Amino acid sequence: MSSDPAWRSWSLVRRNTMEMRQQAGRSLVARQATALRDRAQALNEGAATLQLDPSLPVPRYVSAVDTHLMRGGYTAEQLEGDVSNPANYDAGFFATVGGMAGPWNDAAGRALAAWLQREHPDFQPQRIADLGCGLGHNTLPLRHAFPQAHIVAVDVAAPFLRYGHARARSLGIDDVEFRQQDATATSLPDASCDLVFTTMVLHETSADALPRILAECKRLLRPGGLAIHLEQPPYRRFPPFEQFMRDWDGRWNNEPFWTSLHEMDLTERMARAGFMPGEIFETECRAPALVAADGRAEDFGRSPVWYAVGAWQTADETAAAVG
Amino acid sequence: MDKPPPLRADSDQPAPPAARGRRPEFTDDPMLDRLYSVTLALVAELAVTRARLDTVERLLARRSVVGAEEIEAYRPADAEEVEARSRLHSEYLERVFREFTPATRGDTPR
Repeated sequence: MSSDPAWRSWSLVRRNTMEMRQQAGRSLVARQATALRDRAQALNEGAATLQLDPSLPVPRYVSAVDTHLMRGGYTAEQLEGDVSNPANYDAGFFATVGGMAGPWNDAAGRALAAWLQREHPDFQPQRIADLGCGLGHNTLPLRHAFPQAHIVAVDVAAPFLRYGHARARSLGIDDVEFRQQDATATSLPDASCDLVFTTMVLHETSADALPRILAECKRLLRPGGLAIHLEQPPYRRFPPFEQFMRDWDGRWNNEPFWTSLHEMDLTERMARAGFMPGEIFETECRAPALVAADGRAEDFGRSPVWYAVGAWQTADETAAAVG
Repeated sequence: MDKPPPLRADSDQPAPPAARGRRPEFTDDPMLDRLYSVTLALVAELAVTRARLDTVERLLARRSVVGAEEIEAYRPADAEEVEARSRLHSEYLERVFREFTPATRGDTPR
């Protein structure tokens, strides 16, 4: 396949367009870097809901990779208080997915909220944790769906938390907490959450971190709580050609854990984390079509749908997560 | 105090450094890989330039004085205009990528 001209041409276009998207995004934010920093600082001023920790070690799987070819990855800072990489990410993600995630890039969060409201209308989580929240674009839909809930959004990357917190405030939401912590070991107490989730995070972790994140979710849930992870669908569902095409990012878009994640059986991993097999499930979460101002549903021809693996915490478990 | 940002939508920043990690080569000839990079970048630069030019032409048709800030802040007037500009863009891509399209490409063995 690698010598096939059609595949080579397509790969060249794909790689170059991702590089160009990053270049354009970087240029867009670079000339506004100071102004964006100042705006974020003003929005974040005095907020107890943004809790950064410069002493937190950043896992190597985050610091060593320029994910999606973004120079500096999630943690780089060009100036003090820098928010330019997350601003690049926020603006550029929209271009990368052709607007498919909606004007606020939040289709995954909206998909999860819609799934919860449709499938489990009696489930009203009061304490929610979003692990690996990035800039919080998928966190805020949960805040809209459950306005009474207290939400903690966790990530290791200070620039993204800074930007995400300011972004939330600029959107009129000032009670979501953004904390710089590692999803494998947060400071949240045992059994303190009703809902713990991740959106498109697991494939950016590592073979070492993934089981620890799943175990952390187990630890955080109170009986009757839900852990759910939205991700790319596993390869086993697809014919070989489709698997081959979907694996491209793993090799050439700086996604080193992509292939491994898609070849995993995440239900089995959830069981290893200590969830009862009968409570583990796979499902699909679909973002509701957005409605344009004139009332037409804007589906862009295809709705964003995510594979999800989840598990309910049962009431009679006493053992800690299986190591 | 920083100067206000220049009022241009196209990239007038120096090219940023590349992402870390080995860059793949998809052809057997590094010259060819680079030619693709240049060509594809030109596609983007020209696309932006054409969009801006279209904006200028529309504004010039409506008034006799046009400021740079008007181009920056320009929003299409209606859905018809959005559609027309989108169609122009699609046709432009079809011309540029003619060799990729069976209906328009030249006769080669592969």
